[in-house]
Amino acid sequence: MNEWRYEVPRDLDLDLAERLASFPREPHLWMFVVRSCAAILIRGWLRFYHRIEVRGRRNLPVGRSFILVANHQSHLDALALSSVVPLRWLHRVFPAAAADYFFQSLPRSAFSSIVINALPFDRTGGGAESLAVCRHLLATEGNILVLFPEGTRSPTGELGRFRSGIGRVVEGSAVPVVPCRLDGAHRAWPKGKRIPRPAKLVLHIGEPCTYGEFPPGRDTVRHICTDLRRKVQELGADR
Amino acid sequence: MTEAFDLAVDPLLAAYAKAIVALLLVAGAALAVLSFGFGKDVSGPWRTYRGWLVMIPLVLGALWLGPTATVVGIGLLSMAAFKEFARATGLYRDWWYTVSVYLGIAAVTALVLVAHPRTGVAGWYGLFMACPVYVVAFLVTIPVLRNRASGQLQWVCLSIVGFVYLGWMLGHLSFLTNSRHSLGYLLYLIFAVELNDVAAFTFGRIFGRHKLRSEISPNKTVEGSLGALAVSMALPWALRFSFPHFGTAELLLTGLIVGVGGQLGDLAISMIKRDIGVKDMGTAIPGHGGILDRIDSLIFVAPLFFHMARWFRGF
Repeated sequence: MNEWRYEVPRDLDLDLAERLASFPREPHLWMFVVRSCAAILIRGWLRFYHRIEVRGRRNLPVGRSFILVANHQSHLDALALSSVVPLRWLHRVFPAAAADYFFQSLPRSAFSSIVINALPFDRTGGGAESLAVCRHLLATEGNILVLFPEGTRSPTGELGRFRSGIGRVVEGSAVPVVPCRLDGAHRAWPKGKRIPRPAKLVLHIGEPCTYGEFPPGRDTVRHICTDLRRKVQELGADR
Repeated sequence: MTEAFDLAVDPLLAAYAKAIVALLLVAGAALAVLSFGFGKDVSGPWRTYRGWLVMIPLVLGALWLGPTATVVGIGLLSMAAFKEFARATGLYRDWWYTVSVYLGIAAVTALVLVAHPRTGVAGWYGLFMACPVYVVAFLVTIPVLRNRASGQLQWVCLSIVGFVYLGWMLGHLSFLTNSRHSLGYLLYLIFAVELNDVAAFTFGRIFGRHKLRSEISPNKTVEGSLGALAVSMALPWALRFSFPHFGTAELLLTGLIVGVGGQLGDLAISMIKRDIGVKDMGTAIPGHGGILDRIDSLIFVAPLFFHMARWFRGF
């Protein structure tokens, strides 16, 4: 008789807190339902409370795996970037979020994994494991990674230095990187404030670029970081 | 729908609550003595004990709130148990089947709550018993609707087991709320089934020597099983006030259904776990495993008891 194959989920023997903080997460019916409802509410909030304006939406290579890279000023950034992707791809958008902040307690893990669909990123110790997870994610078609190369929210709103992480994810692969710039987030919900103010948000989406022709190495990593930083900086320049 | 139970008037609930609290205090004291007096490591039993401290008020609270709360609670329990089964077997990945079984469980719950449209009797018994016909018919139709055959037999079979075993059979426990003697039946069943489990474990620890079903559950022993059966056969007489209208035959059968059926239910879920290759069905209850691990005996016992009581005593 043919054996049945049981696809046992990898996280079956983890308790709830561990399961929510683990990655990759198993597909979960209720999680998808809650995330979809939350996404509709968030998009409505961004549209009406922040009057978000998106420029360059056609630049998104939807259907392929790609990385969205943007300046980081507030908690709104990941939400705004996720909101430009069609709802159909909602569950394939993974904003990288600091594990030590967004997954440090059960309520935060629940919110980060269910609503934001965040990828827990280990900021400490070089983050080699997290980068490998990112590369693995991008190897499957249709997954979208959202990264903030500054690594933390800018306290002044000025564009900070781009850390090497983005370079190390991209080096040696031809995955498109889409530079974006979100204006107005620092006015709306800066680091330290509890409640967002109704400031207008403008999201500029640049043209996708690839770095596949450069050989992997420290020079390429540095080049990718400086090039992307320049592109993000220039995006907001022509207003 | 029957009227709400009233804690102030109902002595049954009060009697059981007192007995259970007394048992909990004794168990807690025993753990404390073992830990502080003899220095033994009781972290495992302590976690299990804490699990009981959470579960027991929930169960007694639902019973106190009345039949509707009890039925809805059992319905949710059913869905949680099915979710664990679906996750462990991989059925959860297919949302058509998963949602269909959830809807089936909701339908079973609703049929317990509504009155029969023609006679007005609480609980639509005929349609409740016929439920598997309609749900199985729908489950078999899903692959036809999707125009897909590959791998579908496995999903259909798992869904049928999930609905019939975890939804409909457990639903018989809900239907007991429509009886005149509902509180006595429910309290007795829940208490007796759990006591049967605990007795099997305790007798097994003290006297256990010969393995019961080595291929299915390596920790169960024949001695533990017989000890539990003895306790379960004696219990109906000890708690006779739960069903004063029962005769000797009914009491004997109750003892057998709980003593034998309870252990068969446990072994059935153990068999499923062994076949899949998992240790516990989930982690919902710290110290006990998943919800399905906790109610596996009740699933087996409830429908057998229901039909026995109905045959002998009407409803």
